[in-house]
Amino acid sequence: MNDLLHRNKAKIAVILRSAFKEALLLFLIAVLVAVVFNALRPAGISLLGFSPAQTFHAPQTKIPEITLAEAYDLYIKNKAVFVDARDPFSFEEGHIAGAINIYPDEISLHLAGLKQRISPGTVIITYCDGPRCPLSHETAQGLKLQGVSAVKVLIDGWGLWQKAGYPVAEGNK
Amino acid sequence: MKQHNFFDRIIPITSLVCRLALGFLFFYAGVGKIIAPREFAVAIYNYQLLPDGTINLLAVVLPWLEVFLAAALVAGFYVRGASLLSAGLFFVFAVALSINLVRGLDISCGCFSTAGESINWLYVVREAGLLALSVFVLFFDRGWRCLVGSSA
Repeated sequence: MNDLLHRNKAKIAVILRSAFKEALLLFLIAVLVAVVFNALRPAGISLLGFSPAQTFHAPQTKIPEITLAEAYDLYIKNKAVFVDARDPFSFEEGHIAGAINIYPDEISLHLAGLKQRISPGTVIITYCDGPRCPLSHETAQGLKLQGVSAVKVLIDGWGLWQKAGYPVAEGNK
Repeated sequence: MKQHNFFDRIIPITSLVCRLALGFLFFYAGVGKIIAPREFAVAIYNYQLLPDGTINLLAVVLPWLEVFLAAALVAGFYVRGASLLSAGLFFVFAVALSINLVRGLDISCGCFSTAGESINWLYVVREAGLLALSVFVLFFDRGWRCLVGSSA
């Protein structure tokens, strides 16, 4: 019995030793081919330094824009979900009434909550503050990548909405 | 004695089936990610487990590793190494999924394609099952011989 156990242990050791050698070789070949292939292909990505903003901002898809009048029309008809792409502090100070806060880096945290509010025909409208603010585009790109298709950007949304005197809210609601 | 012969025959055949299944699975998973490395990088990023500097490298290397594992498992060369790596990968996937399920993050799996459903505990069960298959192949694979050889 003891002999059998000892023999089995020796057998397992032999299997594992050869497995480790082969695994290392396979891994090295895969790394080599992957790096070379990535360098040669036009759609290759930089190997070091992943930037969420840069990736989300990459123009895989062009996000359509929406005017204030169209956005307000959808708001009245309850056919829009507004997504405030600014940081949480700015959001708490004031935002479009009913909007949810999704900063570009935090899409995965809020995706489930957003999906619950989407029904067929609903348009997701992202906005931030100022005509040059990139956050609304970054959040919109990120949402598209996560499979949320009906996304539009309201450029300078917060500024325009306030000036027009449309409903706003404070805090987390 | 008869039973002994039965297991001697059935175990290598089962192992061969598992090996081929794992091979085709890895091929499907790897090719989808090679096509869209940027989207796969985003899927890895969403797991929030790795420093940003390593994400792109993993997004480039992992799919090719999966394709090479597929080739090795299907063709029958370096099967031990491929099944060991396969077991290691499924272990890491299961741990990564579990951590994010405990955290309560709602992210897409990124397991077989870059788009997909949100993760849930069934994914962890699946990874554990595939890990078990890989270990089985590691220790019991006898190659194609088992189909033609005698049970002796």
